[in-house]
Amino acid sequence: MVFPTVEFAIFFPIVLALSWALMSRQQVWKPFMLAASYVFYSAANPLFCLMLAGITLGNQAASKLIHGSEDERFRRRIVIAAVALNLATLGVFKYYGFFATEVNGVLDSAGLGLPVPLAAIALPIGISFIVFQAITYTVDVKRRVIEPASTIDAALYLSFFPHLVAGPIVRAREFMPQLAAARDPRNVALGAGIFLIMVGLVKKVAVADSLAREIVDPVFAVPQAYSAPDVVLAAYGYAVQVFCDFSGYTDMAIGTALLLGFVFPQNFRSPFGSTSFRELWQRWHITLSRFLRDFLYIPLGGNRGGRRKTARNVMITMTLGGLWHGASWGPVLWGAIHGAALVGEQFFRERGWRPPMWLRWFIVFHVFVLALVIFRASTIGIAMTFLGRMLEPGPATLWTFPIVAVIVGMIAYQCVPQRPLDELRVRIEQLHPVALGASMAAVILLVAATVSSQGVPPFIYFQF
Amino acid sequence: MTQKDPYILDRPTGRRLRARDALLCVGVAVVLLVLIEGPSIRNTGKEMSSGVERTVVRAVGEPAGWVGDRLPLSDAADSMTGWLSPGDKLTGPGGFQNAAVAAPEPGDGAPAPITPDYFDSAAIGAKSVQLPKLRKLLVTGDSMSQPLDAELARRLADTGGVRTVRDAHLGTAISSTDLVDWGRLSVSHASQTPDAVVMFIGANDAFPMTKPDGKTLNCCGPDWAALYAARVRRMMDTYRRDGAARVYWLTLPYPRGAVRQKIVRTVNAAIAVAAQPLRSQVRVLDMASVFTPGQRFRTAMTVNGKATIVRDPDGIHLNPAGARVAAELVTARLRADFKSIGG
Repeated sequence: MVFPTVEFAIFFPIVLALSWALMSRQQVWKPFMLAASYVFYSAANPLFCLMLAGITLGNQAASKLIHGSEDERFRRRIVIAAVALNLATLGVFKYYGFFATEVNGVLDSAGLGLPVPLAAIALPIGISFIVFQAITYTVDVKRRVIEPASTIDAALYLSFFPHLVAGPIVRAREFMPQLAAARDPRNVALGAGIFLIMVGLVKKVAVADSLAREIVDPVFAVPQAYSAPDVVLAAYGYAVQVFCDFSGYTDMAIGTALLLGFVFPQNFRSPFGSTSFRELWQRWHITLSRFLRDFLYIPLGGNRGGRRKTARNVMITMTLGGLWHGASWGPVLWGAIHGAALVGEQFFRERGWRPPMWLRWFIVFHVFVLALVIFRASTIGIAMTFLGRMLEPGPATLWTFPIVAVIVGMIAYQCVPQRPLDELRVRIEQLHPVALGASMAAVILLVAATVSSQGVPPFIYFQF
Repeated sequence: MTQKDPYILDRPTGRRLRARDALLCVGVAVVLLVLIEGPSIRNTGKEMSSGVERTVVRAVGEPAGWVGDRLPLSDAADSMTGWLSPGDKLTGPGGFQNAAVAAPEPGDGAPAPITPDYFDSAAIGAKSVQLPKLRKLLVTGDSMSQPLDAELARRLADTGGVRTVRDAHLGTAISSTDLVDWGRLSVSHASQTPDAVVMFIGANDAFPMTKPDGKTLNCCGPDWAALYAARVRRMMDTYRRDGAARVYWLTLPYPRGAVRQKIVRTVNAAIAVAAQPLRSQVRVLDMASVFTPGQRFRTAMTVNGKATIVRDPDGIHLNPAGARVAAELVTARLRADFKSIGG
């Protein structure tokens, strides 16, 4: 089940009403919300619920074992086993086909007849997010940052439907305290929640899907059929599409959680306005960045151990971060490009090279856009064709005023202080609940009118 | 000064309301949407595959549709939001919904005319006929047609002179008119006069269909198959434009899972039946045998001497490698029917 569907429009009001009705009786509310979340998840495939339950019980058992022991070596062994099992689950479901194909290719080219069995295993939706959240729970127990929760709290943390399928990656230490007591029914950030849901809908359906349909998909499918003006516009268009698609989902997730009384961390903060790569990763998919920092980069040694080791750690972190996005070479290369950019930026900073702000912005933004071409293209060959066509003069066949205005507007808006949107949010928050509801209905109708007969494509981050 | 724990999340600043206000707000939105979009919700429910979700959507959709029919709000909303529409809404003739869909017989019910293109000149020792030039190719269907459409477009882009139009309609089905009415869409497609049409559709087909007498048929008995084949034949007939165009209809490779396999078996049988009187211009390309010989699902197959994964992890769609195999078969067939096809 996904947010902008009739099924969710029926599911959510029922769950919202029952959730607040049961909130004061936590021993009833928790099983209810757990059941609702599993119903939400089972809409994709009921069998995936078994995997979710398995991850939950495995990590809960590991956390209890870790917490129950003072033997640091034992605690360490258990956490390593738990993390390995989590990653093995991710590996089997997400990376097995990629791994088998590549290993077979190497064996074949070496003349060794030992093919690894090929299989394309069904990918449970949201598995990357679920596994990462499970890791934060178990590792934070090991680090004594949190204590193990009750099994139902742990299950609720991992399955809570607003963040279940595409994040944001909520840390156990952020979510568990919110389960400690009933949410206050007199203190609901209603206006902020509704505003985020409306903004998310507009971003996803009206902006991201329109850009995909009108320019991004056609050009990325057959770049050789287009020349520089169209190809360049498609590259910028994809940057805006992926931002609106993913941040739109996040906005809806955060807004939905707010209506239920829960707070999620922010996931995007005007990333296109960044003037350094470091800043970019503090503004783009923030919850993934901090996961990679806290659970990969720092354990690898972080910036301790000199420049070379720091550069190595950055490259490993970003390349694996790329691999997390997809089991193919495009995302891996995309991650490596960002790793190299971060290392290069540090190199120049240490040598005192600090160009003007506009030039820094220009470099960061355009490296980001060009790297996304490799990320999006279905093969490296198509990505190279795409990049090559950027130098091919020719007519602008896909340039229309609305498309160009949306792309320029979305980029430019993030480079200036966001006063207009903040003011709009404040105004919407002041509305009477009836007016708020009517506004939301109006936005849904307006957004629905922009849906083409080709349908609503799935969220980009669902495949991760 | 102690530093604040960054993992204790602040609630957004701004006005606070009560939970009952949240329910009122969401309730108002739901009521308005039901009043305005009731008939759409009812149609969605009618054409969903059977299951709990369909039952729930229908339980809401039927009364919502009843109320919506009695209010002018739906038309008013359509006219107010029409300016935002991408402009591809199908309103023309030829729709399947509520239509008495009879299988068309070419030539107004007369036996199908036997035309020269039934015969392979080489096979009967005759001089080769002049092949037409392919100028415009339409690749369409549901999600099955992706990424085949892009693969074909890339192959033909280098040929020169061939324009490939890609028009996938995700989540649609011939047996459902909810998102797209393929009867109407095929008429709209044909009006763009493609020389050839590649159709790959059926992944979602299993929706209940209504006969002209109002009887609802559930997938996948002979009655359902006959009605489905009638729709397919009408689309084939529309696309072939009285012989001016060639149609390449791809059968579905068998998916993973017994339930879906039953659907595909029925859909493929219906495609074969539908194409029979139109074979001179409608080629059924048997992807089922290529990807799933013996109707048995397989993830990988040997391509150019190498074991290659050809199916998506969902067990339904072709992955890019599979699409390359399918595209090779389609271009081979195009080469036989048109001149100057590279590939």
